[in-house]
Amino acid sequence: MVSVINTVDTSHEDMIHDAQMDYYGTRLATCSSDRSVKIFDVRNGGQILVADLRGHEGPVWQVAWAHPMYGNILASCSYDRKVIIWKEENGTWEKTHEHTGHDSSVNSVCWAPHDYGLILACGSSDGAISLLTYTGLGQWEVKKINNAHTIGCNAVSWAPAVVPGSLIDQPSGQKPNYIKKFASGGCDNLIKLWKEEEDGQWKEEQKLEAHSDWVRDVAWAPSIGLPTSTIASCSQDGRVFIWTCDDASGNTWSPKLLHKFNDVVWHVSWSITANILAVSGGDNKVTLWKESVDGQWVCISDVNKGQGPVSTSVTEGQQNEQ
Amino acid sequence: MNFILQSRMKLKEVDRTAMQAWSPAQNHPIYLATGTSAQQLDATFSTSASLEIFELDLSDPSLDMKSCATFSSSHRYHKLIWGPHKMDSKGNISGVLIAGGENGNIILYDPSKIITGDKEVVIAQNDKHTGPVRALDVNIFQTNLVASGANESEIYIWDLNNFATPMTPGAKTQPPEDISCIAWNRQVQHILASASPSGRATVWDLRKNEPIIKVSDHSNRMHCSGLAWHPDVATQMVLASEDDRLPVVQMWDLRFASSPLRVLENHARGILAIAWSMADPELLLSCGKDAKILCSNPNTGEVLYELPTNTQWCFDIQWCPRNPAVLSAASFDGRISIYSIMGGSTDGLRQKQVDKLSSSFGNLDPFGTGQPLPPLQIPQQTTPHSIVLPLKKPPKWIRRPVGASFSFGGKLVTFANVRTQPQPGAEQQPQPHHVFISQVVTEKEFLCRSDQLQQAVQSQGFVSYCQKKIEASQTEFEKHVWSFLKVNFEDDSRGKYLELLGYRKEDLGKKLIKEEKQESEFLPAAGETFNISISGDIDGLITQALLTGNFESAVDLCLHDNRMADAIILAIAGGQELLARTQKKYFAKSQSKITRLITAVVMRNWKEIVESCDLKNWREALAAVLTYAKPDEFSALCDLLGTRLESEGDSLLQTQACLCYICAGNVEKLVACWTKAQDGSSPLSLQDLIEKVVILRKAVQLTQATDANTVGVLLAEKMSQYASLLAAQGSIAAALAFLPESTNQPNIVQLRDRLCRAQGDPVPGQQESPRAPYERHHVSKGRPGPVAGHAQMPRAPAQQYYPHGENPPPPGFVMHGNVSPNVAAAPLPTSPGHMHTQVPPYPQPQRPQNGWNDPPALNRGPKKKKMPENFTPPVPITSPIMNPLGDPQSQMLQQPPAPVPLSSHASFPQPHLAGGQPFRGIQQPLSQPGMPPSFSKPNIEGAPGAPIGNTMQHVQSLPTEKITKKPIPDEHLILKTTFEDLIQRCLSSATDPQTKRKLDDASKRLEFLYDKLREQTLSPTIINGLHNIARSIETRNYSEGLTIHTHIVSTSNFSETSAFMPVLKVVLTQANKLGV
Repeated sequence: MVSVINTVDTSHEDMIHDAQMDYYGTRLATCSSDRSVKIFDVRNGGQILVADLRGHEGPVWQVAWAHPMYGNILASCSYDRKVIIWKEENGTWEKTHEHTGHDSSVNSVCWAPHDYGLILACGSSDGAISLLTYTGLGQWEVKKINNAHTIGCNAVSWAPAVVPGSLIDQPSGQKPNYIKKFASGGCDNLIKLWKEEEDGQWKEEQKLEAHSDWVRDVAWAPSIGLPTSTIASCSQDGRVFIWTCDDASGNTWSPKLLHKFNDVVWHVSWSITANILAVSGGDNKVTLWKESVDGQWVCISDVNKGQGPVSTSVTEGQQNEQ
Repeated sequence: MNFILQSRMKLKEVDRTAMQAWSPAQNHPIYLATGTSAQQLDATFSTSASLEIFELDLSDPSLDMKSCATFSSSHRYHKLIWGPHKMDSKGNISGVLIAGGENGNIILYDPSKIITGDKEVVIAQNDKHTGPVRALDVNIFQTNLVASGANESEIYIWDLNNFATPMTPGAKTQPPEDISCIAWNRQVQHILASASPSGRATVWDLRKNEPIIKVSDHSNRMHCSGLAWHPDVATQMVLASEDDRLPVVQMWDLRFASSPLRVLENHARGILAIAWSMADPELLLSCGKDAKILCSNPNTGEVLYELPTNTQWCFDIQWCPRNPAVLSAASFDGRISIYSIMGGSTDGLRQKQVDKLSSSFGNLDPFGTGQPLPPLQIPQQTTPHSIVLPLKKPPKWIRRPVGASFSFGGKLVTFANVRTQPQPGAEQQPQPHHVFISQVVTEKEFLCRSDQLQQAVQSQGFVSYCQKKIEASQTEFEKHVWSFLKVNFEDDSRGKYLELLGYRKEDLGKKLIKEEKQESEFLPAAGETFNISISGDIDGLITQALLTGNFESAVDLCLHDNRMADAIILAIAGGQELLARTQKKYFAKSQSKITRLITAVVMRNWKEIVESCDLKNWREALAAVLTYAKPDEFSALCDLLGTRLESEGDSLLQTQACLCYICAGNVEKLVACWTKAQDGSSPLSLQDLIEKVVILRKAVQLTQATDANTVGVLLAEKMSQYASLLAAQGSIAAALAFLPESTNQPNIVQLRDRLCRAQGDPVPGQQESPRAPYERHHVSKGRPGPVAGHAQMPRAPAQQYYPHGENPPPPGFVMHGNVSPNVAAAPLPTSPGHMHTQVPPYPQPQRPQNGWNDPPALNRGPKKKKMPENFTPPVPITSPIMNPLGDPQSQMLQQPPAPVPLSSHASFPQPHLAGGQPFRGIQQPLSQPGMPPSFSKPNIEGAPGAPIGNTMQHVQSLPTEKITKKPIPDEHLILKTTFEDLIQRCLSSATDPQTKRKLDDASKRLEFLYDKLREQTLSPTIINGLHNIARSIETRNYSEGLTIHTHIVSTSNFSETSAFMPVLKVVLTQANKLGV
């Protein structure tokens, strides 16, 4: 069952483009073409406006919450070519940093896994991806990948923090040898995987080619302790692909078509346990998908205005299998 | 040639003076067809013509277009369009290229054939028109319909399926004029518009086959160079004028056709071409003789964007149908340029010339960073670094209208903006902009079962829960598991276990009683006289021995005469040592099938059974353990059996190991074994496991005083997995209840924190709770500089903020920085800016009562009442022959009634025990030493090796060194290996069974030595001596070994060595004799 537990009237004056809950699921951040970012306290079914953040000069496309270990921090990106990092200080939200390094609309922001520190990836219509790293005392270091996607980058999504070659946590006290990676999707119809080299430079590691039109969104699935890496991608071409990589080197990715929709697919989002994918399409439809035991992706729900039934056929199939 | 001022937004360019047509939107990849323009001569004044197809490859960063094919044509073109006719949904067949020629001809080309290099590329050709064909358009509803316009007011409608005979939309307009533009309506398929340089536009209705409206501002200055219908609004169209005196774009609405709705006066000179974006009706491109390319909103007139172009005029401009941000413009300087409307790439160096130069220097851009060699920069390039701003308003295609994102706790956040058709005049209704937060539940059965489990835990209704599970079990094994689990909560659990294994104590007991009765009939009456033999035969000798109190000799005699029963009975009278020796001798002689079992039973060597039984007999082995094992070794033995089943057995036996672990109460191993056998990834199979684990843990908590609250690594992992699953289904409270409490594993601590906060209990006046299971990192604000707050902050090393794993988040909730006012207010010795505050561990106000993992705290005593009330007095160990030699445990049990040491039972405070004599069984004198078993108690359970039953539940807290033997110190390990090796060698060369038995015995007895080594209680002299013996054994100098042996025995304390030195001598002697 998908049932509405809270309907938040955002009072935005124009289209909403993103709505994200914080780490605990107690606060909601929204952003809109009305150039504002709003934060609501939605605990216990409430909807108290905590902040109405003004600072962008164009439509705000996305918001992203940083991990709470760094405090209450929200990043937003806008058509005004800016990325703004907002922070709550003594109960008040303020702009803590403004990144103006892009020449065109910044379409996507995504915080790296908290294990790496405070790092934000930003994808822009100028084709570049920038990486902002907090170095302390209000300083942010910028690295830029130019020409990441011709005509523009639409989405960025970090790989979960997994130490290569070991699925089990390393002994504490030892520095884990993380390899930082993220995926991006763009107007060149490509998904690209980027990897930080030992010298700190970002290098294109993989090009994933299957879409025949703009890649609208990419979502790297959360790690659930399995050796497989999974990425979902969706495109203007109406297709949603699930990319998986089983080998340790991380170089062989194979796509599986989840579904071909009749309209552009804007957004894909994994559940925290990485077993359900929410797909948002241009026909304003939201569908939920789950992989059945035989590896097929099955639509388990059509969500309309936050509500929908959930078919249990997948679950039943699993039972029979056992 | 002006390369320097090229736009940064230019993606590609082709040096052609040509008409251009993009491939239809369906087509992938994107192609651009170019046909030599009939109007302009290129620099070479060449009259040759060609049709070319280029691919738009955006992954190639160079400015070059990839040429796919060139076809040398005999025609030059006034107009080129690419229709999707006969194109399948996959875009496999590349549609039709339709060209307007110079002499009234329309030519249809097959682009796929051009690409494959086929010679026959012309599909059809028709020269019905008069003069150059300047206007062409494909009907978007019926892609086989093409409209064309030429001189003399000629308009034809062509059916590509029947190309020979065109239709006309109606009577020709008068006076005859050139048709410069033609366009099908974007909403109504039978409406067509045409326009001419005279400035008039005509709208045709093909159903009526006549013009329905004529559009003209009567200024006589409109010189129509462009005509386009509104992509969304059926009645609106724009006209562009080429006349320098009226360089405007007029927006018309046919409903108000007397005058233009709007006039866009953004160009300084005549407009040569326009293009209306199909992807966003607010974007209209226009290019004019003022050398500008503008993008305007025809609905408002606002200029949204000016493409930075060179000074050349563009005569043709086209949106790419597939990629809405891409447009192409053909200029009179002989070039077609491809631009992005989105603001360009940042490097201003992407020019062909530079590229060409740099190519001589090899791969300049290995990482695709778009930064070619810096030295090649031409000075001018750096000067006008003006930022090209993107469109003033975001194009429609990047405005995401819908979204659904998951968040913690199985919540889904969705929003969808309802599409509106902007109708002119109609005020847009303000819409509510709602965001829905929904709960997603996909695992109903899982939640339901989890709920039942919680209820069982809370109501303590374990027995009925297990019973329900037994009834619902689908497999025999499942039924067994639940039956075993259930037994844990019942009285006489061991007995019940036995029953489950198929052994009913009562049955056996009945049989035994029967036999005993029969035996008793033969017992001589007490008062009868008897005859004491004093003859010279063996009877006489025994009599003599007995009369002199020489039990040893008497026993030997009996044994010699194979009078086993007599021997044993005499040995009992002769004391423990004699009894033990006699037992050994008996077993050495007796060779029946069940000897080993009896041996094990009598010697209390259950380990032997468990270790060496045939695994097919695991049930019997388990039964034996259940019956006989002492509480302190019971668990270990069950474990051992389980481990054997798991490691040696086939898949069927492996699962049976679970039963052993349940008996052992070993949760961790149960988890491991179960996980190995089942696919634990699906929620229901995890539920299957967790149900058992929770119940078993409860049982262990109720029956054992061990710290059941400790959680093994594997169990913790499973429980947190389970909690995560519950959380993902929105059951936050349940997740919290199941999450292990006493663990420091960071992931669990973090999950707990997340769950607690997700519950959303507001902390008044505390927006930000300071407690988090990780280090907090202070992110200071804004730019550096003498900001008040920063100035006084001591410089903290950067790594304080970025642990990068060197400081893994400790569970102790160390905080950095003044994140919380509460904490900041606390007086702290450290710096005000970056304090390290130890906050006490997470309080658990929300902890549910009766959580499954509540520790068995003392104040929970009343719950345990149940056990003592139904307490069956443990059956005493009734026979001395049951006592293994030197076993301190059993010796303690043998002691006469004495206060039970409080320390052993501290966790069972007396007040909580009903009945007042909970330890009766233990405190009772177990039997009178020296009495034959049958006399000690007329209880069938008093048979040799009496079952111990439920005593395990209470003596569990006794010291249990037995189970966890210390290892032999490494330096002395050599002694063990040497002696054992020697015994093995002797065994392999010994021929007679007697010697073998001696050696076997020796092997066992040497355990005493090893124990002493473990305890490190032997004096250095003895140790040294033993090492010397070992060395002599290595050199096979056994006589030397014996000498050393004698020396040790003579110089050391007898009590210290008596347990093992004699055996060692036996071994040495044997070795010497056998010469091994």
